[in-house]
Amino acid sequence: MRNTYLWFIQLITGALIAVLAGIHTVWMHLDAILGFFGVDLKDVTGWHSMIERSREVMWAGIYIALLAVVLYHALNGLRNIILELTPSARTERIVTWSIIVFGIMAFIWSVYVPISLLST
Amino acid sequence: MDKEKNEQITFKIQRYNPEKGSEPHFQEFIVTSSRGMTILDGLIYIKENLDSTLAFRTSCRMAICGSCGMLINNYPHLACHTQIEEFHSSRLTIKPLPNLPIIKDLVVDLNPLFETHKSIKPYILRHDDKEMENPTAEFTLSPQGLEAFLQFTYCIKCGICISACPTSASDKFFTGPQALAQCYRYCADTRDEGEMERFSVIDTDHGVWHCHLAGACSEACPKGLDPALAIQLLKRQMVSRTVGLGKKELPASTVPPNTETKPKVPFPDFTVKGSK
Amino acid sequence: MRQVQPRQNNLGIGGWIWAGNYKLERYLYILHRVTGLGILLFLLIHLTMTTVFRIQGQETWEATMSILHNPWFKFGEYLVVVALIYHALNGLRLILQELGFLMGKPTPPIYPYRDSLRKKRRWTMAMIGIIIILCLVFFYDFISGGW
Repeated sequence: MRNTYLWFIQLITGALIAVLAGIHTVWMHLDAILGFFGVDLKDVTGWHSMIERSREVMWAGIYIALLAVVLYHALNGLRNIILELTPSARTERIVTWSIIVFGIMAFIWSVYVPISLLST
Repeated sequence: MDKEKNEQITFKIQRYNPEKGSEPHFQEFIVTSSRGMTILDGLIYIKENLDSTLAFRTSCRMAICGSCGMLINNYPHLACHTQIEEFHSSRLTIKPLPNLPIIKDLVVDLNPLFETHKSIKPYILRHDDKEMENPTAEFTLSPQGLEAFLQFTYCIKCGICISACPTSASDKFFTGPQALAQCYRYCADTRDEGEMERFSVIDTDHGVWHCHLAGACSEACPKGLDPALAIQLLKRQMVSRTVGLGKKELPASTVPPNTETKPKVPFPDFTVKGSK
Repeated sequence: MRQVQPRQNNLGIGGWIWAGNYKLERYLYILHRVTGLGILLFLLIHLTMTTVFRIQGQETWEATMSILHNPWFKFGEYLVVVALIYHALNGLRLILQELGFLMGKPTPPIYPYRDSLRKKRRWTMAMIGIIIILCLVFFYDFISGGW
């Protein structure tokens, strides 16, 4: 039942992204409306607030979790779409493995960068 | 359209003859239509009077055999089940069903459909071989149990859902809405025990999880079968078996349910006497 | 007997994109796929930007951010937000319906046929309503901050 697990995880990660990416999007974009409710974001995209956020455990946790589920959801979705184009069995294996390798590398790189900047 | 008023309808039909090595091309025929005339009547008129080389498949002319599925004005219909009047147009474009190989003109090869249908084991599977080989009684089936899958038993295997499905459009190995709906029909049957055997067939890279609920199969189905519903219920069943949620009912036995039945009414005497 | 191979007639990717006379859910399927691929593209750009420009230090980061405050990038960001809102809410509908909720029970097919998606269309319409409201809320915020 491998494909059932894969798709069920796709559904769960989808629901998680709706929550986590919802927090991320609201925080990054709704500055006027959040300001109305008394939340002052100052300069969210500024260098200092960004470094500050990666120091806080809660934000770092949200970002790492979001990164992991987004990469799974997006790359599994991409793989599903590619498989529907019915390439040969050999191409399918190549697609699967290159997507797995790409996902792991993207995760490691994107987690490494903010950690390496913590000391600055 | 009045009964007396006859309208000139242009049938633009896709022709393709593999023996001549030609590419598919369109040919136009003009048919006089009257009230209540179906597309199939028009095609039969063309074959009898205008061009006898036109090939199409038909048998029962009343939406039971599932032979005459074709793409009429870019929507899959059964030709016998569709009246010319429905389209409010004097031009009709008729093509063979897409996503299935063309044999000639409007005849498509339904073998892929039958092969996938066979692959999901469309029959009752039981673990008790003894009872299957030498049956002692019928397996019981409650009316509620019947209703759970009755809708999906009306499939006539016309191939219309496959031509409507966007996944079948590109994925040649996709199990297809027809076979998946039939798979649910047998998995939902309380007399059946072959769930896991069927799940291993459809739980592949081209199986049930490539249904993305576009709903086109259910809209196009000429028998109101609702394959989309069947596939979603099948997914629910698969997930609940995999995750281990939900209760699994025991397969039906040959023992009739323990219900009180009315005592038999004695046969009235007079009718027997009167018949003598 | 002469054997002639049947001619393949698959619609291919055209069959994904062209929905013709099919009803609402068929179009939602196309949009879901398009927005999904669009968000994937954005995700790759976003990850590249937030890592490659970040590791080069504060000056590069602030220079990049000042470019991104350009109205055209803001508009592109708004499109990504709309795609996210659509993909999220339609995705929630798909989660519910693929797990057999909001689909109803099998019924005897009595003419005129109504498939389960059409019977539950009001939920789909409610979902579209929420999408439009959220898009308007975000639109208000994007214009209120000044382009």
